[in-house]
Amino acid sequence: MNHYVGIAGTNDLKSTNLKLMQYIKNHFSEKAEIELVDISDLPVFFKNKDRVIPEKAAEISMKIEAADGVIIATPEYDHSVPAVLMNALEWLSYARHPFVGKPVMIVGASYGTLGTSRAQAHLRRILDSPELSARIMPSSEFLLGHSLQAFDEDGNLNNEEKVTLLDGLFEDFEVFSNISKHLTNANDEQRKEVENYSWKD
Amino acid sequence: MKLVGIIGSIADESYNRKLMLYIASHFKETIDIEILDIRDVPMFRAGMEMGPAVEYLNKKISAADGVIIATPEHNHTTTAALKSVIEWLSSSVHPFADKPVLLVGASYFEQGSGRAQLDLRQILESPGVNALVMPKDEFLLGNVKSAFDENGNLKEARTVGFLESVMGNFLKWIKVLKAMKKNNDVKGDWESEDLTASQEIDTTVKGVDMKAEDWVEQAAAKTNAVEGDTYVKLDRGLLTVNQLNWFLNTMPVELTFADDNNQFIYYNRMDENPKDMLAPRQPKQVGDPLESVHPERALKGVKHVVHTLRTGETDLVSMPVPFINKVNEKHVMHYYKAMHDEDGRYRGINEWVVDIWPVVESYLKMTGQKLVADENAKVDATSGASEKKEEPVATPETDATSGASESETKVEEVKVAEPEVDATSGASES
Repeated sequence: MNHYVGIAGTNDLKSTNLKLMQYIKNHFSEKAEIELVDISDLPVFFKNKDRVIPEKAAEISMKIEAADGVIIATPEYDHSVPAVLMNALEWLSYARHPFVGKPVMIVGASYGTLGTSRAQAHLRRILDSPELSARIMPSSEFLLGHSLQAFDEDGNLNNEEKVTLLDGLFEDFEVFSNISKHLTNANDEQRKEVENYSWKD
Repeated sequence: MKLVGIIGSIADESYNRKLMLYIASHFKETIDIEILDIRDVPMFRAGMEMGPAVEYLNKKISAADGVIIATPEHNHTTTAALKSVIEWLSSSVHPFADKPVLLVGASYFEQGSGRAQLDLRQILESPGVNALVMPKDEFLLGNVKSAFDENGNLKEARTVGFLESVMGNFLKWIKVLKAMKKNNDVKGDWESEDLTASQEIDTTVKGVDMKAEDWVEQAAAKTNAVEGDTYVKLDRGLLTVNQLNWFLNTMPVELTFADDNNQFIYYNRMDENPKDMLAPRQPKQVGDPLESVHPERALKGVKHVVHTLRTGETDLVSMPVPFINKVNEKHVMHYYKAMHDEDGRYRGINEWVVDIWPVVESYLKMTGQKLVADENAKVDATSGASEKKEEPVATPETDATSGASESETKVEEVKVAEPEVDATSGASES
């Protein structure tokens, strides 16, 4: 059974992305172990002379390093990834680089119709940057629009088509994660490169 | 011009801070740029009260004419610290709405924060933020470690030159947007133009009868106006009031100033016999509301002209003067130009009246050319609003019929100053 880290890219306890992440954890509990990590309390990222990262960030970093993959649910604020998630990704690409070569699946929920399409595109670009170098599952998108109406009282998705799509995507992600275990030839070099990367701005 | 500069980095050492400090100091003679720090802004959280740091930014940005943002690039995008600020400022308050924004950025390597700027542009243009990011220039400062000298100045003259041109464009961008905004604020249609000048403005001299024949003297006493040899500092120059008068009085055009309250407050031909003027004015008329210096029948046209300029529908209305123009002898034109202050607010009309025929005549003489009537041309020779007779460009016969005496009586009628709006000016239609 694969072990994944699940990140809801929010610090809002009422977020439907948190709900979506919890649903994914429960819905696929027979197939994989998904551990949700909380990114909401990290301080605002700042570069410091000694390259120190908060203990909490180091902890998350180690969990990701040990995981077979990461599932991220992103809200969309101002047509882009919320600052709180960008912030976590900055801490998780500074000093330690747990995302290098790590399989990532992106999902997202929004109150409106679009279901975070723009934030997901933004998140892909971020995860693809050298300091993160994640292995994002290609050709897959899970956009959950009208998310306030999307769950029943038990926290399950109430739209069959959406469930079927998510099932398929998750199956693919399992395969993708397993394949990715063999796609490691460049990882050491990539890691070296990012560790030498200057973070001065 | 008051701008604020936001540094999108909270790092201990930041080249973007350096860049912003340089910009603020390099332009300090002409632009006031206040640098805002985002260090104390907490991570945005939906539903949380904004603290004093966010309130401070909100106040500063709201009051500014424009915003310059310097963004570093983290993970191919802008920083979480800056994004958090923008989220705060697009949640319960929206100071960026309709605010002109200029993006700049510096990076350690050659990319110069190009990707971060592109993302930031998209973020700022999203509906919750609604900023007006300047659409053309991108100021990307790559390889920043070698870009500044020990005094914090940019080393490359070319880079400085480009920055100056970007800033010039940004100031224009601010002005254009301001003009657009102000125009939308104008309430009512052309008929609501108040020619009685009862809508007191900041420059209106209170407590003096506008119609008084000595309005100028009374108003000058009231405001302790300077005169004579006292110096007045202008945008780019320094003149005494006397020098200013000599200068204006010898302008080759008749100038009239009507303020945005539609009060006639200045003309530059005080010593001239009104009969000798192209558009007669009298010293005692100065201070009058526009209504008092026009005959009843012209008021509609005046309202049209003023309103067209006030709303920014056009910046300039021009029309030939009826009655006194004679083909190939005299062609007097009235020009009405909207004036705006540095905030783009409409401040009244600069009217000039000039006979353009001498210019045409001397040009023909100098270049050895002559005018030939265009058979196909249609011109509005009469320029009355109601009667739009279309005649081909003047023929010698029309010229011959206009006698001197007739023209003089007509001049008296022109004393009513502004003719009715000519349909060709575009003011009355639309």
